[in-house]
Amino acid sequence: MSSALAGELRSILGDDGVLDRQLELHVYGKDSGITRGEPSVVAFPESTEDVVAVVKAAKRHGVSVVARGSGTGLAGGAVPLEPSLILALTRMNEIEVVDVENRSAWVGPGVINLDLSNHTYSDGLHFAPDPSSQSVCTIGGNIANNAGGLHCLSEGNTVNHVLALEVVTADGDVIELGGPAPDPIGLDLRAVMVGSEGTLGIVTRALIKLTPNPTAARTLLMSFRSVEDAAKTVSDVIAAGVIPAALEMMDRLMTVAVERFIDAGFPTDAEAVLLAEVSGHEAAVEAEAEIIRAIADDNNAIEARVASDAKERQRMWLGRKSAFGAIAQMNPDYYLHDTVVPRTKLVEMMRNIYEIAERHQITMLNVFHAGDGNLHPLMSFDASEEGVIERVKAAADELLAICVALGGSLSGEHGIGLEKRDSMGLVFNEYDLDAQARISEAFDPDGSMNPNKVLPSGSRCFDFGRPIPEGTWV
Amino acid sequence: MPFSTQFAPTSQEVGSCIECGLCLPACPTFRITGLETASPRGRLTAMSAVLAGQAIDETFTEMMDGCLQCMACETVCPAFVPFGRAMEGAKAEIAVARNSMSIRIRRLILGRFLAWRAVVRLATAAAAVLQRTRMSVLIPKALRSGFRSLRPLPIWSSSRVGRTSKPLGEGRSRGTVGLMVGCVMDPWFGQVNDVATRLLNMAGYVVVTSAEQSCCGALAAHDGSAQDARRLAHRNASAFGAVDMVAVTSAGCGAHMKQYEHWTEGGDIFAAKVRDITELVADAIDKGWLPTVDRIAGPIAIQDPCHLRHAQRVVDEPRMILQAAGHEPIEIDSTGTCCGAAGVYSVLQPELSGRLGVQKAEQVRAAGPRIVASANPGCEMQLRQHLGEGYQIAHPIEFYADAIGIMERGHS
Repeated sequence: MSSALAGELRSILGDDGVLDRQLELHVYGKDSGITRGEPSVVAFPESTEDVVAVVKAAKRHGVSVVARGSGTGLAGGAVPLEPSLILALTRMNEIEVVDVENRSAWVGPGVINLDLSNHTYSDGLHFAPDPSSQSVCTIGGNIANNAGGLHCLSEGNTVNHVLALEVVTADGDVIELGGPAPDPIGLDLRAVMVGSEGTLGIVTRALIKLTPNPTAARTLLMSFRSVEDAAKTVSDVIAAGVIPAALEMMDRLMTVAVERFIDAGFPTDAEAVLLAEVSGHEAAVEAEAEIIRAIADDNNAIEARVASDAKERQRMWLGRKSAFGAIAQMNPDYYLHDTVVPRTKLVEMMRNIYEIAERHQITMLNVFHAGDGNLHPLMSFDASEEGVIERVKAAADELLAICVALGGSLSGEHGIGLEKRDSMGLVFNEYDLDAQARISEAFDPDGSMNPNKVLPSGSRCFDFGRPIPEGTWV
Repeated sequence: MPFSTQFAPTSQEVGSCIECGLCLPACPTFRITGLETASPRGRLTAMSAVLAGQAIDETFTEMMDGCLQCMACETVCPAFVPFGRAMEGAKAEIAVARNSMSIRIRRLILGRFLAWRAVVRLATAAAAVLQRTRMSVLIPKALRSGFRSLRPLPIWSSSRVGRTSKPLGEGRSRGTVGLMVGCVMDPWFGQVNDVATRLLNMAGYVVVTSAEQSCCGALAAHDGSAQDARRLAHRNASAFGAVDMVAVTSAGCGAHMKQYEHWTEGGDIFAAKVRDITELVADAIDKGWLPTVDRIAGPIAIQDPCHLRHAQRVVDEPRMILQAAGHEPIEIDSTGTCCGAAGVYSVLQPELSGRLGVQKAEQVRAAGPRIVASANPGCEMQLRQHLGEGYQIAHPIEFYADAIGIMERGHS
């Protein structure tokens, strides 16, 4: 079946545009998460027409289509679970037109996030969503997962930065959603498409809203004797009407790990460290930095200082961005969780995190977007140790349940994918899920677009679903 | 068959990858092809599959042969995966598992002939005659463009090995530096070695060019001729056993010699003594042992050889040397992408190598200056080939030597 499909794909894309040898398929079996599958074939379209032809060919052969960018997803969104065609969009990486006056650009889904911002830098513009993987991840992946990042507190997630989308549907039709106007007429299907993780169609072009580069910025480093004081500072800052561009918290385990990795100047004796950045006009940032500093002092900060120059500022952020590298040094495996709680519940959530970590005997470090309550508990482990995977999974499930019980959500920015699919019932009732499933069905009646992702089996009435094959949760 | 030699990538090396993908945009072959199978993460996944029992097949071989071994991935890796070492291991495995005629011929050339000074000299003399008679049609097609980008070759020059030169001027010697003259570096880029010797003498070092030295073995190691690489590493380590430091004028050789711990007993002690010539010259300028020129000279575009920037993490030194010579270094590429020369890659993978060469030439043209500094012979030839007429390309220390007036002959 798939070899006939591969032959047909070669006639569309050329030999250079198709991979189907065993080792190649193995390489495309996973993303940055911890689940592995095995595709039947990998296709590399270079244009919308190519995507249309590939989607139609896959449909004729009864093979489902899984879109993939750089493969940096953490929730298994690009993992093929059944005989699937991986649609690798890395070659559709053209930045077509930058409209400086209207602050927008048409781009291909394979454009790397940071490449776009670098491209428009000299025009004084950038693409605001900045996940930690921004040097690698693609715009297409950002759209699929409604990606956030350090600056999503003030700028919002990807959905706030996409004006229009060109989409190839499951039937191979090309449709355009949204438009250059900020408030699209008709049903806002653009917003439906953003965050749909490739289950509704394939984004082949996107009109991106670009954001002016800030003219001035201040970064503050604040350290506290307790997580409570740090969390209270976060709430007070927001309550004072200051919306920092970024507001990040790290706990002591994390700052110790970072300092062991690089010299970022973080105090390792403090229980929590906050990094805040305000950006905008010179006078405004000066005043806002002072307000934040005063609030930190009121909340018993050990230290609250504004970076004195660009060099110190860069060093502080390098420390935050090196969290990932620091983890990479500790153990061969990690599980990066992504959950959200209301800001007011941060302290309670942190207490629960520490309790769960201790009970399951897992090293859990915390670095997160405190401003919007988006937590990233990071479990560091060695998968070869017996029983550890089960403990990690159990801890992850408990974390999710508590987040939801506290009024939070399953995912802040990484998406649902495979990893959290079966937890969707924690936040949505059967009617909620049915409504989502009906939207999905309207776009993809055969269930051929990234099947088995996002929505749990049984979401739709009469849906008996397809189980996840054994052994994919590796 | 799965891995079978002592050089094989280990599960520890491969397993240290956390699959984050940060290496992807740094990898020139991923950038050009968009293929995960042409990325460091994909190549490590393939090595991991072989460790788990998968055979070394044609796909595996192609994936590994596509790698430039430029080490740009190591620079950005948060998990410090020793990718270059693992790749040399994979190459060694391929050489054993797929003992093709092409591999055997390469092993003969890279592992034996390059280390045989008489053979290199004879080939150089023949090439020099062809240069003078413009008979390049006699050169095999795969080597022809490389031949055309050589500096003018001497028909005969006496070898630089087995010499000792004393510090110039007054004062005590600052130590003994062994100069690695290199296999083709010496006959093809002899002026760089002459300038290096003179600058080191001026800086107060005794320079010895041990007659026992041989080819560094980098090309053999990169191509999987692991036994030859071991033999050559052992020989050089004992040849330079008595010196305080070893100076290397080719970035590719220096990068490999700094990794001798993987190739010979006590190689770590030897590796700690190895310095790229730009490190030694920049240090001497910094300490005032070598002069700084007051005069303002023109801008020079600076090209970072991967094996200097990524493998040795030497970035500031060549710039500082150009500045000390009164030149303004002009950056051409903020991330230091490979120019595509990559040792014998340009011969084995001409298509990808050519695309990277064209890309690098475009970067140089966009930067402006028609003078380019490059601290590696392979890069110099690749630049000359893709930039064409009207560009002057030389080692940073040659520009410096020219500025301080010690250049004995003109630039090539």
